[in-house]
Amino acid sequence: MADLLTVDGLSAGYGRAVVLSDIALRLGEGEALAVLGRNGVGKTTLIDSIVGVTRRFAGSLTLGGREITTLAPEARAMLGIGWVPQERNIFRSLTVEENITAVARPGPWTTDRVFALFPRLKERRRQAGSSLSGGEQQMLAIGRALATNPRLLLLDEPTEGLAPIIVEELLAALSKLFRSEGLSGIIVEQHAQKILPITDRALILERGRVVHQSASAELLADATPLERFLGVTGR
Amino acid sequence: MPSATLLGQALISGVLAGGMYGLLAMGLSLSWGLLRLVNLSHFALAFLSAYIVYELGTNYHVEPWWSAAMVVPAMFCIGALQHWLFDRFKVNELASLLITFSFAVIVEAGIQLYWTADYRRYETEYSTLSFKTGPFYIPVLELTLCMVAGVLAWGTWLWLRKTYVGKALRAAAEDPEIAAAYGVDHKKLAYLLSGIGAAYAGVAGTFIALIATLAPAQIWAWLGVVFAVVIIGRLGNPLGALFAGMLIGASESIAMAVLSPAWAPVVSFSMLIAILLWDPDWI
Repeated sequence: MADLLTVDGLSAGYGRAVVLSDIALRLGEGEALAVLGRNGVGKTTLIDSIVGVTRRFAGSLTLGGREITTLAPEARAMLGIGWVPQERNIFRSLTVEENITAVARPGPWTTDRVFALFPRLKERRRQAGSSLSGGEQQMLAIGRALATNPRLLLLDEPTEGLAPIIVEELLAALSKLFRSEGLSGIIVEQHAQKILPITDRALILERGRVVHQSASAELLADATPLERFLGVTGR
Repeated sequence: MPSATLLGQALISGVLAGGMYGLLAMGLSLSWGLLRLVNLSHFALAFLSAYIVYELGTNYHVEPWWSAAMVVPAMFCIGALQHWLFDRFKVNELASLLITFSFAVIVEAGIQLYWTADYRRYETEYSTLSFKTGPFYIPVLELTLCMVAGVLAWGTWLWLRKTYVGKALRAAAEDPEIAAAYGVDHKKLAYLLSGIGAAYAGVAGTFIALIATLAPAQIWAWLGVVFAVVIIGRLGNPLGALFAGMLIGASESIAMAVLSPAWAPVVSFSMLIAILLWDPDWI
């Protein structure tokens, strides 16, 4: 499997604070990676560093063989990085449809396809972003990222703070994206049991370092690393 | 109490005069609402344009509409250049107020140096042209101004809502960092918007030359009322700016007819305060 994303020796953080130390990872085309870890171990910083909104102290990143280490976020987005931030950050004054079309780029993910994936968004296409519920905002954040037709989709805690029924709906959509559509992605989550079934591989972060990497199926079969680093079981 | 005819004429004259408020407010509203820059030099650019149209018309006998065809693109370039400076020196919302005020003072001084502080009036064949509808007189220049302002406001509103560039601009105005992370190059778009705002100052300046008496200090004459128009019309909303301009123009004119001319400014600012008290998040 060809590498879509490579991260080598990455140390990054915010201001003077170094949050990530010497991170190395590879993500193949069509592969989905779960990034697990407790609160404050650097999961969001890893996603933000790939997006390009953190301060990099060392290391390099490539996307599709192209060096992106020094590129600005907008240039990385143009090369195919789609981001669903933890805070969702939808454009509140724009309508649902405008949120999608304002950033859309040509490709297989059209507005209609986004609406087919999330029919609730189609029903609310003319409503302002600010009027959506938390779950709908998360769907919009994912739909907006898809509309950029990314090569790599980054999701930061997509199920956080959502009602169980909405979580099920979102996980079904993400499963479709990664399993049926073959989209490459990285999902940050605290709750391993939610995303291990829909990802190929998983890594666990502890104090800004990668302490475990394996196939997601292995972690589901043997939860020892989860118990050790997250204090939870995989089931 | 004035007669119905007088009130009707005051209403028509007020709405038409409000078109100028709206036209001046549009560029300011776009820059403040979508770039977070309060561009006081907008008034100076409008008057600089007015003086250039006056100069070309009186000394070189260039038709005002041909002068506009030169002045408006020139103002677009000045607007884009201004934004380059704002971007280069990372000017924020508050600093923009001070810097553009300084720029306006410099332009005012330049105008005074070249054209002196004398009042100047550009008389054209259109100056006194009007037609009568029923008992009411409609001045052709003011009506043309309102039609041009209407086309620009409607076109800009559609552009902001229907085109990729317009929607990207509104997204970037709300959250530039997130918009950038989705590939929106808001810096390039900001140059375009800044140029468009200044070009609108050029359009307003053409009409100022034809309608108003020019003097350098007049740059500041409309500052207060146009700011009220920008806020009442909501930041970044060109159609709102035009409607607010016409509303204030009509209210001022009625107040002048019913009460006295001294009441005109009271109306616009009372309206502004009432709206902000009613909805503090109006801006």
